[in-house]
Amino acid sequence: MKRIIVLAIFTILAGTITLFSQDKSHFSINYDMSFGTGDLGDFISKPSFRGASAQYRIAVKDNILLGVDAGWNVFYEKKEDDSYTSGTQTISGIQYRYQNEIPILIAADYLFTADKKIQPYVGIGIGAMYTERIVDMNLYRFELSPWHFAMKPEAGMMYEISDKTDLKLAGKYYYGFNTEDLDSQGYFTVSLGFAFQL
Amino acid sequence: MDFSFYKLNCELEYLNNSKCESNMKKNVFYLLGIIFIMVSCYPDGPEYYEDLDVVYTNYSEDFDFNSNNTFAMPDKIVKIEGNLIEGEDPEFVQEPINSQLIGQIESNMTTKGWTKVEDPANADLVLFPAVVTNTTVVYYYDYWCWYYPYYCGWGYYYPVSVSSYTTGTLIMSLVADGENYVQPSAIWYAAANGIMTGEYNTSRVTRAIDQAFEQSPYLDTK
Repeated sequence: MKRIIVLAIFTILAGTITLFSQDKSHFSINYDMSFGTGDLGDFISKPSFRGASAQYRIAVKDNILLGVDAGWNVFYEKKEDDSYTSGTQTISGIQYRYQNEIPILIAADYLFTADKKIQPYVGIGIGAMYTERIVDMNLYRFELSPWHFAMKPEAGMMYEISDKTDLKLAGKYYYGFNTEDLDSQGYFTVSLGFAFQL
Repeated sequence: MDFSFYKLNCELEYLNNSKCESNMKKNVFYLLGIIFIMVSCYPDGPEYYEDLDVVYTNYSEDFDFNSNNTFAMPDKIVKIEGNLIEGEDPEFVQEPINSQLIGQIESNMTTKGWTKVEDPANADLVLFPAVVTNTTVVYYYDYWCWYYPYYCGWGYYYPVSVSSYTTGTLIMSLVADGENYVQPSAIWYAAANGIMTGEYNTSRVTRAIDQAFEQSPYLDTK
């Protein structure tokens, strides 16, 4: 249910951004590959090849863009038969681990070369990140779903392939701060997509 | 979806340029496409029965396993089916499955350094093997009245920390009684969830029994 709500928010947000877009703005959609670090990397060591993000930016100066980001990354790993002990209790079996990360951020980018064919940029995002951590073992499911305060530094470049379309390549690091239920969660993302001038 | 506001913008800015609406639709199409792909390739879970096999163990920290080394065990595995009618014997697991499992359990206990004795009254501990044939969470000592009358009438207990079983769960309990435990007390408990359901698979069950002992090193009296 939560997943559907977040998906709906994601879709509505992206749709709203598209509908209300103005001059000198762009909307990008990206395919994301992500690698967990810290606690997330310990929980799921395999990289995620299931990810996407959407970004909207509007130029407030020639080389300064403001906007919003939304993304969805799915981490998954099947942990082979192993034993897990807590106090006097031990449980062994195969674990199926899932982690969904859904960041929703306000973002700002700085373009080093505005109005050029190649536009390198750096950016930062601040907002919230929804984490859904699931461990399935037999018929048992252990689930945590906290919201983190989140930050995201980003660096990348846009390459103009037509009047209205750019290719966008970026490296991002999403970091969700500690919550009561879960330690901080971080992952590095390589993002490739298209930016459409609106 | 209502595109009226967007259309108005398009008309004002592009003087009714049809590319505007088409670009917007294309963007939404791409986005929905990515979301569809992500949902459709969401990772799968277990594929086979064996992928669901789980073995759970727990024990009492207060019990000194090292100062005990004899055990007794009935030669039949009972089926726990809920309330036992007073005076009636329980159902038992059929042969040859029963003997295979009893042999495997005994072999593991022997490997851990325990010596089997025939009379439960002379044993330090009694090992009760059982299969839960429904989703009960109550474990009655009366199920072993037929084996050792001492256990009659002690009622039941809730196995520790297991909130529910699936049908076909194999349970092994090591029970202490006597001077320190007038009321029988399970000081070790193992549950292999669901392995006695569906098509019976000897290797699955024996592997689960071995795993229960392997993950219980404190049982080692050697």
